Amino acid sequence: MSLLEIKDLAIHFPTEEGDVRAVNGISLTVDEGKTLGLVGETGAGKTTTALGILRLVPEPGEVLSGEILYKGQDIMKLPNKEVQDIRGNEISMIFQDPMTALNPVMTVGDQVAEVILRHQNCTKTEAQGRMIEILGKVGIGSDRAGDYPHQFSGGMKQRVIIAIALACNPKLLLADEPTTALDVTIQAQVMEMINELKKELGTAMILITHDLGIVAESCDNVAIMYAGQIVEYGSLEDIFDHTSHPYTKGLFNSIPSLEKKVHRLEPIHGLMPDPANLPTGCAFHPRCPYATELCETEVPGATEVGPGHLCRCHHCGNLQKKEGVIHE
Amino acid sequence: MSEKNLIEVQNLCKYYKTPKGALHAVENANFSIREGTTLGVVGESGCGKSTLGRTVMNLHESTSGKIFFDGEDVTHPNKAQKKTIHKNIQMIFQDPSSSLDPRKCVSDLIAEPMKVMKITRGKKETEKRVAELMDTVGLARRYAFAYPHELDGGRRQRIGIARALSVSPKFIVCDEPVSALDVSIQAQILNLLQDLQEQHGLTYMFITHNLSVVKHISHDILVMYLGCEVEKCESEELFLRPLHPYTKGLLSAIPIPSIHVDRKRIVMSGEVTSPINPKPGCRFAARCPYATEKCTQELPQVEEVLPNHFCACHHVRELNNL
Repeated sequence: MSLLEIKDLAIHFPTEEGDVRAVNGISLTVDEGKTLGLVGETGAGKTTTALGILRLVPEPGEVLSGEILYKGQDIMKLPNKEVQDIRGNEISMIFQDPMTALNPVMTVGDQVAEVILRHQNCTKTEAQGRMIEILGKVGIGSDRAGDYPHQFSGGMKQRVIIAIALACNPKLLLADEPTTALDVTIQAQVMEMINELKKELGTAMILITHDLGIVAESCDNVAIMYAGQIVEYGSLEDIFDHTSHPYTKGLFNSIPSLEKKVHRLEPIHGLMPDPANLPTGCAFHPRCPYATELCETEVPGATEVGPGHLCRCHHCGNLQKKEGVIHE
Repeated sequence: MSEKNLIEVQNLCKYYKTPKGALHAVENANFSIREGTTLGVVGESGCGKSTLGRTVMNLHESTSGKIFFDGEDVTHPNKAQKKTIHKNIQMIFQDPSSSLDPRKCVSDLIAEPMKVMKITRGKKETEKRVAELMDTVGLARRYAFAYPHELDGGRRQRIGIARALSVSPKFIVCDEPVSALDVSIQAQILNLLQDLQEQHGLTYMFITHNLSVVKHISHDILVMYLGCEVEKCESEELFLRPLHPYTKGLLSAIPIPSIHVDRKRIVMSGEVTSPINPKPGCRFAARCPYATEKCTQELPQVEEVLPNHFCACHHVRELNNL
């Protein structure tokens, strides 16, 4: 049994201007100790999916359908109290922006100890000891436990967030762009640390990112998201060496390479669709260089292009470029 | 590309006064940019790259040093010089959502610099020029009366580019123009900037923290660390043969989107120290694995270690077996 299994999850935000369809029927699994990379651009529904797993989808969002099975039990059906016991304890989250995720008027030590006191049956002194230990693991000395968040740099704040997330030895870690706000050298330090701690504690992880470089270094499986759907899903090798979906191909071509010198990049034309007004058929068809009439009318199902390698495209077996290039 | 230097900067320093002492944002910068080429300036946050760009285009007054534009000393410009500078040097800002007036529509935003500089005469001519510029940067004309909040980041950045181009400048300082954008949009904007450079013979100073972007777009690269120049050479050369320990660490920290690259990562310990009243000696000494006593006492000078490859490190020769 997988640690986490999501079946056909759909999350919508009803607004005055219409229904914003943020997540449209995604299915994925995460096995114990493994890392799944959730890749996509702004507005693809990555963060909403993660919040859905924790039942933290903000108002007015609602989960329309789907099951989120954690260790076989459906999180969507659990009473609030039980979800609170899981949240931060068995499943925890690292937030994107370390500047806003911490409480500015509470010392970092207290913020770490708070999680331990809430979830573990222990005294204040025991919680203090555990807090010092976990801060040490992320490279923060005990002398800094009494400091406030503003006294830390961005990289150090992110370490505190990681300490809070790992304080109760979670089984599953949801890391939402954990290094996007950091500089590259600090990013390298933080990713190295996350991967080591993950190995040590045997934690599974869903790593949300838009950086395919980080995915290549840290993930076992990859799900590429576009307009609230997983358009391609497979192992690291499937995605990087046997790229099937036109969107994934476009993503790879958009990144300037450090090895090859190219005259011009080959970007994906056009823009992300408005989730309140998704195109008919395949959501990617207005930007796709291979789109045909079929793509405009019919939503593609997930085709298995290799063992465990899924691709949502009518033409993923034989892609043929359309005549002429689409421009805005 | 010509051999003429459009921009030349000599011993440029920019210090800020703070309650805790002088903040050395830019320390002794020396570089030149050939007409029609791009100089990439890379470094981590707080290394002074944006300050350098703003000082070069005279948005901040320099503390000491000299800036030459097209052979003319423009360090302390008089009124007439200021006008020429601002007509010839323009800037594209990082965050297109905060650098555009939210109460002006797209066509007003693009027309504004031309009105200020009195470049076009009359409403008709301005309108014609705005329409041309919108075509140049790839903005559909139906957006002429849209407001910035109605557009996405990529389109907003196109407005920023159109504004910079509107006065037909020779030199554009691009301050992280693509960092706020998604990769697919980022690639569109990079291509646009390269096309414009070819068509109009523009010279760029491209400030970014993204090393793969800088490699793609630049002819020469300047690496900065805490206000100081660390390494400077041609783009290809920097990635082929980095000499400075900081550059090496920086390059090895970039995650590469391929699963067949096997490389040894040099993880730099520690973090960037404060630029306020910096200690004497090499700014990188505290994080450098090769630092010796000399490094903590004496600031290394930038020297030409290999032909056209400059580096500021006391031990560059031993470290690279040169």
